[in-house]
Amino acid sequence: MSDAEGSLDLSPVAAPPTKRRGKWRSIGVLVVLALAVLALLSQGLLHSLNYFETIDQAMNSRAKLGTQTFRLEGIVKPHTIQRTSKGASFWITGGDKKVFVSATGSPPQLFQANIPVVVEGHFTSETSDKFVATQILVKHTASYIAAHPKRVKAPNGSVR
Amino acid sequence: MIIKLSQRLLGPVTLVSLALTLWLGLWVTPPDKVQGNLVRLLYVHPGIAWVALYVSFGTSVIASCLYLWKRTRSVVMDRVAHCAMEVSAIFLALTLVTGSIWGRPTWGVWWAWDARLTSTAILLVFALGYLALRRANDDPELCARRSAVFAIIAAINVPIDHFSVDWWHTLHQGATVFNEDGNFLVHGSMLWTLFLSLFAFTMLFFWLLRERYRLEVRRDAAYAATLDEALDQRRREGVH
Amino acid sequence: MIRIALLVAGKDLRIERRSRVLLWQVLPFAVMALVLCGLALGPNHAGRSSAGPGLFYLVMLLVTLLMINRSQVIEGARGTRTSVATLGLDPAGVFLGKALALAVELWLTGVVVLAGAVLLLHTALVGSAEALPSVLVILAALAAAGTLYGALSGGGQGPATLLPVLSFPAFAPLLIAGERSYSDALHGGALWQWWVISLVALVAYVAIGILLYGVLEES
Repeated sequence: MSDAEGSLDLSPVAAPPTKRRGKWRSIGVLVVLALAVLALLSQGLLHSLNYFETIDQAMNSRAKLGTQTFRLEGIVKPHTIQRTSKGASFWITGGDKKVFVSATGSPPQLFQANIPVVVEGHFTSETSDKFVATQILVKHTASYIAAHPKRVKAPNGSVR
Repeated sequence: MIIKLSQRLLGPVTLVSLALTLWLGLWVTPPDKVQGNLVRLLYVHPGIAWVALYVSFGTSVIASCLYLWKRTRSVVMDRVAHCAMEVSAIFLALTLVTGSIWGRPTWGVWWAWDARLTSTAILLVFALGYLALRRANDDPELCARRSAVFAIIAAINVPIDHFSVDWWHTLHQGATVFNEDGNFLVHGSMLWTLFLSLFAFTMLFFWLLRERYRLEVRRDAAYAATLDEALDQRRREGVH
Repeated sequence: MIRIALLVAGKDLRIERRSRVLLWQVLPFAVMALVLCGLALGPNHAGRSSAGPGLFYLVMLLVTLLMINRSQVIEGARGTRTSVATLGLDPAGVFLGKALALAVELWLTGVVVLAGAVLLLHTALVGSAEALPSVLVILAALAAAGTLYGALSGGGQGPATLLPVLSFPAFAPLLIAGERSYSDALHGGALWQWWVISLVALVAYVAIGILLYGVLEES
């Protein structure tokens, strides 16, 4: 064995300590993620993803809306529906406000008084409360009640 | 013994509960005050959506998490995640189809780009992306790992979908059962038929998952046998 | 982690500067895509600024897909992945570095495409300039998400069709936020909310990437 080889230290060396990055960083990242999402949701910042504006919201932002097309939601006021040759006209209410809707095209099957509807169209001017609609959508609620719950049964027991 | 019994009963229970839901839904329960007979889709669409979004997708995500965690990593978890996501994709597609069928006569349109419908469609695309990812890689472990990560990322969309009707104004109705007031907004026989339909479709999911899992096991065994045969043939060629 | 991120970002940007793929291929593609949008809409509709924001982000989405693929192919060069694994580089740092480099490239392209939208699609100059900060944040979020999905889709070695299939559902919310913020900037809406939304999206994707990139890259 040469002197150069004899001077080499070939004994096993302990591996250098590896950094434990995983656990605390993961927790920190998850916390930041959760805070960011909560911040977003708590501020209600995503209202632009709404499918429609309520009457209150539309009236409050009349200047911005102007005569541009958007969707408006309200409840059909009873005894105001008038079917025309081109469609229908009726009043919709929301809160203490109401809007007159003149719609073209045939309304959906469930269209009736006291039902929430979403109408797509625009106000006729920046100050009027008349809304010209090209489409009526019925927004049915989440409640389901049997029709005629106290219906009298026929002798054979059927209720149809 | 309980496991064997429940496995044997799974098929019959699924069949009976689905048949009962069909009978009650079509003939026994009354029409709705507003929707009339259109309400009978209440016993189909929510059940399918419940399985698609929560039961099936949830199973896939939980199995994916368990696969990524070293203590519970196994080929069983990977298979469960894969099979559950396949079932979820089918149920998500059915959710959109049944929803459209219900939406056309009630809302007046087949489709609307509101938050609930859009997020469900995005979830379907995620599920299809997962299935595409599974087919794109030959290395089973790499495939399993990537798919698991993808499923976990996709799961972020589920709470967004669930709360979309609360956070935004949507055309889709709010929650009928799991709403913030805790009241049931369905009455009488319609309510327990709805619960029965949720149960029936959940049983259907477990039955489909079991059958699909068995198919996956057989497929893996057939592939391994083909591989063994090919290796044998190569060895024989080497001998000659 | 930050040090490694800056090293990796510097590496990617130096490769880009030497190869000039961005300058000679991606930018012409982006401008051509914008021209095709205008042609497809026709002369009556192409000049309406209502179409501008959506088309801008559509073109940037296509550019992002190209750049993600390029970013991952760089890693696929012989010996690169092995070197990174052997050196024991923090995967989170590698993710941040690649996302940062991709973000810089998208910013440069975004500024050019924004100018193109003003010229070709007649979006208002002042509105487009006001939209620029939110555009930069959304593009950074696209870069973070894209880096993650690039690794998911096989790092440039999987089929080319896999990346769009995987990434489009994740990009969709960013596109929606981007289009709305650009429109609001053009029509005088409240921009600060879009700032917050975009920043949250960026933080979310960076966080997810830091958590999960290592799992995708470990062998």
